[in-house]
Amino acid sequence: MGQLILGQLLNGAIVGTLYGIIALGVTLTFGITGIVNFALGAFMMLGCYMAWYFTDGVGMPYPVAVVCAVLVTAFAGMIADQTLFRFTRNNLVNGLLVSIGLISVMEGGALLIWTSTPKNMEYVLPGVFVLSGLVVPKMKLVVFLLLLGVILATYAALTRTWIGRAAYAYAQNPEAAELMGVRTGLLQSGVVVYSTGLAGLGGALYASLYSIDPSLGAVYILKAVEAAILAGIGSVMGSLFGGVLLGITEGVGSIYLPIAFRDAYGLVFLVAILLLRPAGLFTGRK
Amino acid sequence: MSRGGFLVLAALGFALLPAMVKSDFTLTILVFSFLLGMLAVSFNLIFGYTGQLSMFHAAAFGISAYATHLCMTRLGTSFWTGMLCAVALVLALSVIVGALCFRFRLKEFYFAVVTLAFSEMARLVVLNWNSVTNGSLGIILQEKPTLWLPGLGVVTLQGTLMWYYVSLVALALTVLVCWRLVNSWMGRCFAAIRLNDELGDALGINVFRYKLAAFAVGNIIAAVTGGLYAFYLGSIEPGFLSIDQSLAIVAMVLLGGRGAVAAPVIGAIVLTALPHLIHLGAEVRSIVYGAILIFTILLMPQGIYGSLAALGRRRNAV
Repeated sequence: MGQLILGQLLNGAIVGTLYGIIALGVTLTFGITGIVNFALGAFMMLGCYMAWYFTDGVGMPYPVAVVCAVLVTAFAGMIADQTLFRFTRNNLVNGLLVSIGLISVMEGGALLIWTSTPKNMEYVLPGVFVLSGLVVPKMKLVVFLLLLGVILATYAALTRTWIGRAAYAYAQNPEAAELMGVRTGLLQSGVVVYSTGLAGLGGALYASLYSIDPSLGAVYILKAVEAAILAGIGSVMGSLFGGVLLGITEGVGSIYLPIAFRDAYGLVFLVAILLLRPAGLFTGRK
Repeated sequence: MSRGGFLVLAALGFALLPAMVKSDFTLTILVFSFLLGMLAVSFNLIFGYTGQLSMFHAAAFGISAYATHLCMTRLGTSFWTGMLCAVALVLALSVIVGALCFRFRLKEFYFAVVTLAFSEMARLVVLNWNSVTNGSLGIILQEKPTLWLPGLGVVTLQGTLMWYYVSLVALALTVLVCWRLVNSWMGRCFAAIRLNDELGDALGINVFRYKLAAFAVGNIIAAVTGGLYAFYLGSIEPGFLSIDQSLAIVAMVLLGGRGAVAAPVIGAIVLTALPHLIHLGAEVRSIVYGAILIFTILLMPQGIYGSLAALGRRRNAV
């Protein structure tokens, strides 16, 4: 029993970083452009299919395919930003609805091209680690470490570099930031594109672990929004903790309760957090 | 001509339509449009007039559809009594959800997310409570509702023509109720809350009470629609409570227009009829649907009604 719990803890943490990477995109986009981009789930789906296409279709080595998939997804994000999201800055309801329209378009397109039959990628890194009786597939550990690394690097970039400071300045006071020489239009587009790139990365790594189908984004964006709100929207490290917390709760919860309730934990968390501590769990110091 | 006069004319036109159009196909599409139009009009009361983006509408609709059926089969009530029970249930639920949200002053996105969370929980319950709801398979409804009509006695509701008039009357009543509400002192309070609820609070409007009132009335109408829709369709399934259903309602309201009580009906008719007029695969339909949503918001934020009204004003001014 103890091993089962430990296994679910680990599994939950790994799935949690996947939630976390999308949640990071949600948080960054919200902080800088004032909208919640629900289409990030669809961009994740695009990343999955691109990684699958570049490895199994074109025959690239997996790491190169991941880089290409991220670039393609980010490029798609740039097109979406320039044609759609540019016009919904700081308009929450419009941005929400435009991103939902974009989901329909992207999912419909994916269904047309790739049909609804799930696709399975070739195993990238077969084999498992055995840690005192606990079996962890190697690839899962690699994905976990990679996502963790990207989130930490983003945090470091936001706190240590000029761009990061510009972003924080913009989030606090847009006019003042602009007067101080921050190119705000570029910053906003950059953040939207970066967020879609993160979603693409999450997707490209997801493709190496699970089978993919056009509707997978819907689940992940909901969990990501839950994780972002759980942590307090705007907190970078919080999105990681929120995602991991959600992943672990789901993993451990499904040992004790029927698996059907898996999707309900996040919802219960969400309602409780918004009612009792609306600023989120990780935004205490301000 | 006044807007009210135009509406009465439109209702009369629809009432006389079956005399000219014999096509069962067209009338069926219109029945679905009218029923979804009720959903859109009642949603607009919460969203367009009071400014609260509720994601609970599909839940109210779906819960009532299940509850009406369950009352009829488990308690042996008639259709209308069953619907009354379902409405009471939905009213109780929306008072709980609404009171929770409004007491804690959740606004905009946060209100949308929490109502979405509640309706997802309702969907999960419906999906997994197999012994009662038959899970993801849904239920085929065998019973037919009956209706007492003056001069005809008790008749069974069946056939497209009968349902056409029932749904038209229901829609007309919905528009009338919302119209009366919006143009009353309550409507003024709704508008004040939409424009600036803190200012409204400062001016002595009980913001909590009127938000809750709009939320409850909207959900009650959605509940009535749920019962009618389920028994017209002849089946119920958990998809009634899905996020997609909520979003379809939002899309209808945005496409039709938020600025007038009956405007969402235009959106309901267009979005219901369009997929049937142009024959498209499910994938292309999803793309077209998304594109309509995007372009309505970016290019026609006032919806079809608002754009037409603006056009009319410009012509009058010249």
